[in-house]
Amino acid sequence: MSFGASFLGGANSRLLPVSIPLRFFLLGLVFQAAGWAVLLTNAADLAGFNGGLGPVLAAVHLLTLGVLTMTAMGASYQFLPIVTRQALMRFWPARLSFWLVAAGVIILAYAMARLWPFGLDLGAGLVAAGLLIFVILTGDNLRRASGVPVVAAHGWLALVALSAVVIAGFLLISDFRSGGLGDHQAVAIFHMVLAIFGFMGLFAVGFSYILVPMFALAHVDISRAAWAQFLLSVFAIIGFLLGVQTHRGPLMIASASAGFIAAAIYIWAMWTSLRAGMRKRLGVSFLLIRVSWGFLLVGVFLGGAMVANVPVPNTPALFGFVVLVGWLLTFLMGVLQRIMPFLASMHITDKTGKPPLLSSLTPKRPLLVHAAFHFLAVGLVSVGIVVNSAILIRFGAASGLVAVAAFAVFSGHILVQLRKR
Amino acid sequence: MKSGLPGRHWQDKDGLHIDVRSLSPPQPMVAILGQLDQPDQQGPVTVHHDREPIYLYPELAERGWTWKLVAGEIGEVRLILSRPS
Repeated sequence: MSFGASFLGGANSRLLPVSIPLRFFLLGLVFQAAGWAVLLTNAADLAGFNGGLGPVLAAVHLLTLGVLTMTAMGASYQFLPIVTRQALMRFWPARLSFWLVAAGVIILAYAMARLWPFGLDLGAGLVAAGLLIFVILTGDNLRRASGVPVVAAHGWLALVALSAVVIAGFLLISDFRSGGLGDHQAVAIFHMVLAIFGFMGLFAVGFSYILVPMFALAHVDISRAAWAQFLLSVFAIIGFLLGVQTHRGPLMIASASAGFIAAAIYIWAMWTSLRAGMRKRLGVSFLLIRVSWGFLLVGVFLGGAMVANVPVPNTPALFGFVVLVGWLLTFLMGVLQRIMPFLASMHITDKTGKPPLLSSLTPKRPLLVHAAFHFLAVGLVSVGIVVNSAILIRFGAASGLVAVAAFAVFSGHILVQLRKR
Repeated sequence: MKSGLPGRHWQDKDGLHIDVRSLSPPQPMVAILGQLDQPDQQGPVTVHHDREPIYLYPELAERGWTWKLVAGEIGEVRLILSRPS
């Protein structure tokens, strides 16, 4: 086996140093633990949460920025150059974006929990600077991409949404500090919907069209479904935001319905890939991924129910928890446990020059424990929100912490293998 | 040889050839592993690619296949895959 001959079309330049994606993934795990810990100690505030500064908002941003965005950045730096066949411009900006977002999330979350105005500005400024680098690097890569138009379309729209999310975030912080924003609630909904469905959602869905067929080894054309889902998603997001700004209930309900159909088409495309796939035993990672798709549908349904004034107890908190933790976090943890061993195996070789087996880098027991406690956490907290029970939420958050600890054992195993070889 | 997989494949004196150039991800990996996973496939298999398939290597190792990069046409990455007996 030989690697890295010079005539090989620059494959090595597309392979990032393993430390770059891993630092994003591992710090994301730390932030996830911090988010559960904040929820554990402030469980009574969650069920009635409807926005505003405080520990719950800090926990939300530890999850959205600290876990979901951090991991999306690491995965994007690692995989986009492979998917688009375009090398990353430079490595140092990726490292710099990590430090900026990492420091920014810590300061921002602390400032949100402690109502510290200067910390809000400083934290948001650092996060925005890191995200700007991410947008430039990823945009440059997408600009030079060809052959994966539907993935690129999702990526572009996600970057546009992220930019708008950051601007709306600054407006909200400015309003917290000195007021002056006409309709704070409308801007907060704009910020939240674009962050969840525009940035993180489209990123996750776009990557799915590559990753799921790759994991399942599926040869099936789902591009028409993917385009239909993409267009419906665009209509749903823009229509919903317009409905919120102009206070038009029917437009919001029509947009939420379009979003539900888009989600159903996406899930149908994913199931089609899995059915056509040559690899049928996909392990516990795909248990998480399949369940996350169910939570996507439940989340969009809850969003529609909220604007239609269907009487579901504590709908804002339930909706937020279901889409952020039930859908996005569950999906992300399922994907991470597939790609982390993959990444490691490409960077280590044994005495004979061979890479280690993927199976030797994937200890099953920690992943089973993680899945069990993660599902327990999602279930307990969801029920706790509906019945307004701080005790259930507290037990749920504790289960979430156990799940993170189990995933840390899995990650530690991979790190030890990396250091050994 | 399994039909219905992406890419071009043909049998030559030196074994099966798979041409996955111009396929977009993840179809090259699907095409190659789909052929290797056939029960009667013992190799060697020659892969014609347009880039080094770094994501393929862990999957090859998991299946007990070895690979060697050899010279190909300009702009081509050619691999010989074999299964040690």
